[in-house]
Amino acid sequence: MRYALLVLGGPYSHQAAHSALRFAHAAIARGHRVETVFFYHDGVYNASHLSAPPQDEPHLVDAWSELRRTHGTALQVCVAAALRRGLLDAREAERHGKSGASLEPPFELTGLGQLLDISQTHERLITFAP
Amino acid sequence: MLLHLLNRAPSSSPVHQDVLRAMGEEDGLMLIEDGVFGAVSAQVKHFPGLEGRLFALREDLEARGLAGRCDARVIIVDMDGFVALTEDAQRTVSWF
Repeated sequence: MRYALLVLGGPYSHQAAHSALRFAHAAIARGHRVETVFFYHDGVYNASHLSAPPQDEPHLVDAWSELRRTHGTALQVCVAAALRRGLLDAREAERHGKSGASLEPPFELTGLGQLLDISQTHERLITFAP
Repeated sequence: MLLHLLNRAPSSSPVHQDVLRAMGEEDGLMLIEDGVFGAVSAQVKHFPGLEGRLFALREDLEARGLAGRCDARVIIVDMDGFVALTEDAQRTVSWF
């Protein structure tokens, strides 16, 4: 089946992102495709390129990127939620006159309309909330 | 058939009452994260009439030291079993 996950919880403050990541690996292990993870609300902090947790703790940003690398999962971030929270890719940083970008590929800024699209094009959409 | 996901303990949030009101007769309820506190014997009374369709995530029970305290009426599933439940359900509804 084609799965999509919606992550609404920020990393290191709620379990939502950890639950979603474990669900993604379990779904893949059962032969499903986790085609998209959509980050919304505080969930957008999962995409912070500047995240630098201690080395003996799970690195969620890297773990999401690894999911993209090994399984092709699209990592989509709501642009409106991201800009409010200081998560900008190079193009948005330039547009808003900021000195640096905090979001890089494989994460991609996208519109909320994409979430509606996901709900119609994937067979399952599972929400992980704070 | 829908699968409802609940991540709040009945002792910390009344949202489980909304879940029960919304559930259809065949729907399942999956307790995850802090929701698994509702699976222990002293708390399971908050989920009447759900025998055979009340589930709790093993990993989250173990993370909270509750693995041995889960009520016999609750079906313990691991992450693989959680995914299987989402396969069977037409849709999942997350409550938080």
